[in-house]
Amino acid sequence: MLRYIATRSLVALFLVWIVVSVVFLLLHLIPGDPAELLLSQGNVAADPQAVAALREQMGLNAPLWQQYIDHMTGVLTGDLGASFRDGAPVIEQIALRLPRTLEVILAASLIATGIGVPLGTYAAIRADGKADAVISFFASASLSTPVFVVGSVVILIFAQKLQWLPAGGFTPFSEDPLEHLQLLLLPACTVALSLLAVITRMSRASVLEVLQRDYVRTARAKGLPRNPILRRHVVRNALIPVLTVLGLEMGTLIGGTVLVEFVFNWPGLSGYLVAAVDARDYPEVVGIVMTISVLFVFLNLVVDVVNALLDPRISLVR
Amino acid sequence: MSRSTRKLILPGTIAALIVATVLLAPLLPLQDVRGMDIPNRFAGPSAGHWLGQDDFGRDVLSRLIWGGRASLFIAVGSAIFAAIIGTALGLLGGYFRGAVELVTVRAAEIILCLPPLLLALLVVTILGAGTWPLVLALTILYTPNYTRVVYAATQQVRGLDFVTAQRSMGTHPMKILVRTILPNVLPPLLVQMSLVVASAMVIESGLSFLGLGVVPPTPSWGLMIRSARGAMEVAPLLLVWPSLALAGTILTFNLLCDRLQSALDPRAVTAGGALWLRPRSAAAKKPATPVEADADAPLLEIRDMSIAVRDMELVRRVSLTVRPGETVALVGESGSGKTLTGLAMTGLLPDTLRVTGGTAHYTTREGKAVDLAKLDEEGIRALRGDEVSMVFQDAAAALNPVLRIGEQVAEAIRAHHDLEGDALQTRVVELLRHVGIPDPEQRVRAYPHELSGGQRQRAMIAVAVANNPRLLIADEPTTALDPTIQAQILQLFAQLKRDTPGMGMIFVTHDLAVVAEIADRVTVMYAGEVVEEGPVAEVFERPRHPYTAALIASVPEGGAERLTAIPGSVPSPRQMPSGCRFAPRCAFATERCTANPPKAEHPAPGRVTRCFHWETVT
Ligand code: SF4
Repeated sequence: MLRYIATRSLVALFLVWIVVSVVFLLLHLIPGDPAELLLSQGNVAADPQAVAALREQMGLNAPLWQQYIDHMTGVLTGDLGASFRDGAPVIEQIALRLPRTLEVILAASLIATGIGVPLGTYAAIRADGKADAVISFFASASLSTPVFVVGSVVILIFAQKLQWLPAGGFTPFSEDPLEHLQLLLLPACTVALSLLAVITRMSRASVLEVLQRDYVRTARAKGLPRNPILRRHVVRNALIPVLTVLGLEMGTLIGGTVLVEFVFNWPGLSGYLVAAVDARDYPEVVGIVMTISVLFVFLNLVVDVVNALLDPRISLVR
Repeated sequence: MSRSTRKLILPGTIAALIVATVLLAPLLPLQDVRGMDIPNRFAGPSAGHWLGQDDFGRDVLSRLIWGGRASLFIAVGSAIFAAIIGTALGLLGGYFRGAVELVTVRAAEIILCLPPLLLALLVVTILGAGTWPLVLALTILYTPNYTRVVYAATQQVRGLDFVTAQRSMGTHPMKILVRTILPNVLPPLLVQMSLVVASAMVIESGLSFLGLGVVPPTPSWGLMIRSARGAMEVAPLLLVWPSLALAGTILTFNLLCDRLQSALDPRAVTAGGALWLRPRSAAAKKPATPVEADADAPLLEIRDMSIAVRDMELVRRVSLTVRPGETVALVGESGSGKTLTGLAMTGLLPDTLRVTGGTAHYTTREGKAVDLAKLDEEGIRALRGDEVSMVFQDAAAALNPVLRIGEQVAEAIRAHHDLEGDALQTRVVELLRHVGIPDPEQRVRAYPHELSGGQRQRAMIAVAVANNPRLLIADEPTTALDPTIQAQILQLFAQLKRDTPGMGMIFVTHDLAVVAEIADRVTVMYAGEVVEEGPVAEVFERPRHPYTAALIASVPEGGAERLTAIPGSVPSPRQMPSGCRFAPRCAFATERCTANPPKAEHPAPGRVTRCFHWETVT
């Protein structure tokens, strides 16, 4: 088991290294000068002197390998550089905003799993029946509706028309826990909707798969009643691939909550990224992209390890 | 036209309509997309503007159609570019392997390490917003999807004989690739295509919504939703139209993808569900009222039982009797119906199969007679694992991989007895020791994969005998094991028989050597019918059916390498011979055999044969 975790961690570290390098190369090898790009507004050419100064400041005059090493040392020591816009260390902003994004994702995952697994299991039990068709269509429909559409419509209904919940914003938990949770609810549900569809579908497929397994027949041969079979044998085994998918989806969401944060004015990491992209603030963009990628890879690692814990066979395979 | 093809029509038609509408946009009698009409901003639907006017008084319907044109152009365009590049990379990587594989396939997979929206944002950061940067970003994003599909398919195809043959004949690799591999990967590519169009639209509209995609004044659904948000209070419909258009279009392409997939690959659609899970299933049988059994009734008496899938009979009028303490071997090749007969006794037949006739009277502990073939799920469940239990063939698959052995045995006990805590634990350890698992106190905590094959089968047997069953059905319990272990497991069965004298056993096997060792009586099945029955010693001494005789002849004797396999194979249930089912493979067959099916005859007391010429069989 420990060996398994160690190997997986090494692979993950390698991936992180690749991603960091790719991001670095992307920004340095593309035609065009970052400094010039940064300083030019629209079609107005940048002042050459300012560009030169900025190049110096950004360390762009050093040879590429030198820049690469500087960049990597920075990453390793947690120094992601300073924002072009306000000169504040990028890492501070990330540390402040990342938890907020994670909070939305976590809340959404809880909602989606809590509803999706039972719903998918039910659909599988009723496979090819009416309930199954309704659930499947609902899942397809929510998968097909982009989050910003869901978010906008949800605001229109719950905030504008019914006035049950605030349309958006953020209050720190320490200031007003209740309001914090109220504000969290709509974005979390919005993210949860498409996640719910994924989990429902996956649970359905997975339960159907497990139902065909020999050990379910063994459980029946023991004379166990329906519910213990479902709980202990079917759902428990079916959950393994569902959790894998959930983990991967959560990884994608870390970069994908951009739209939700934008719609609900939630000051998380992704919203910060949009602002950074808009302003072409390279250190910020690089810092955020790297943080998200590292989290993404790390989450995949966690998924692997949790899987190995749930399914004792996995750790032996490799 | 198959059902799955028919299901393609609806999404296919809608998708075609959508594409046609946006393609024909310049020809349609639409209002000017950019024609502003400030005095009439937010005007509702009217004759001139069917869907009303937006915040600049522009016609919503025409913006909707032109916006769809922009969205689809970007989505379809990048899907095609990505398909071309991805296919090329996948083909090259899959065919040449080595370094080529590294720079094509592996490089593409790095892209998958990044969250998709993030990657798109990164490209937009570098190139700025606009239509072409979007196309580029989406192309990069979706290339790996195609690469993977094509790579996997190429890997499969390149090993095929005709490809190797063409190659050795000097055909240029490029030609081979294009001619043989492309047609093969086309179906999965089509599926990918519709999937990519749908998800490209999601990302495109998202970026446009953020103001990082399509640049105004070009209309786009994402942009329309963005501006409608500001005017939500005044004109909520402005938000609804583009939302519907966007979600509807994406849904159409997603459905198209799903249905394409099931039309192109019917195997991917799993057979639905499990009937036993549905409380009031249509297959529920009428519960039989138990009656007092005769004092000398056998433990189990199957009479004329048939099993069928739809109208195809797999088991025909099988009769079989098991007395207390007796072991009956059920012998036959695969496809003879022996396993189905065993499964039917525990109500574990697959959903598509049904017992279509006959009875299977079983005498319970309380001396009641019940018909196992007619019990409903709840009725048979009460017997299953308690009075009637089953040992399956492949213990590795039949044990739950994520539960400890001890729990799986305990579960069998708890299903029928109120035993908890230490008492239960003691009983489990005792059982494991009984079936010969060494060090049972430790082994209860082991997972199935931590046990050897033989020990797993022992654990499986422990589950089956946990409640001292009166009828044990063992379905090829030694087949998956190697010979030395096989012998040990057989010894275990012999020991179990000695320890529980009243237990009857049905031992399903295809191995006559095993029969001689364990059984008292033997029933031979062929093509769903019982062809011979009798005490083991007598049948081996003097078989009365050519099939049995041939089976006995094929058993290697005394280590001699004399394995006379019977030529031919069991006929499929669809093409049963109208006469004797064994006739095509029978050395004794005459004209009479192919004309009519033989009836069961009794050559001696306790013996049955289904053969016209049983007297001449030696
Ligand atoms: S009935 Fe005829 S064909 Fe059938 S087993 Fe007997 S001899 Fe062979």
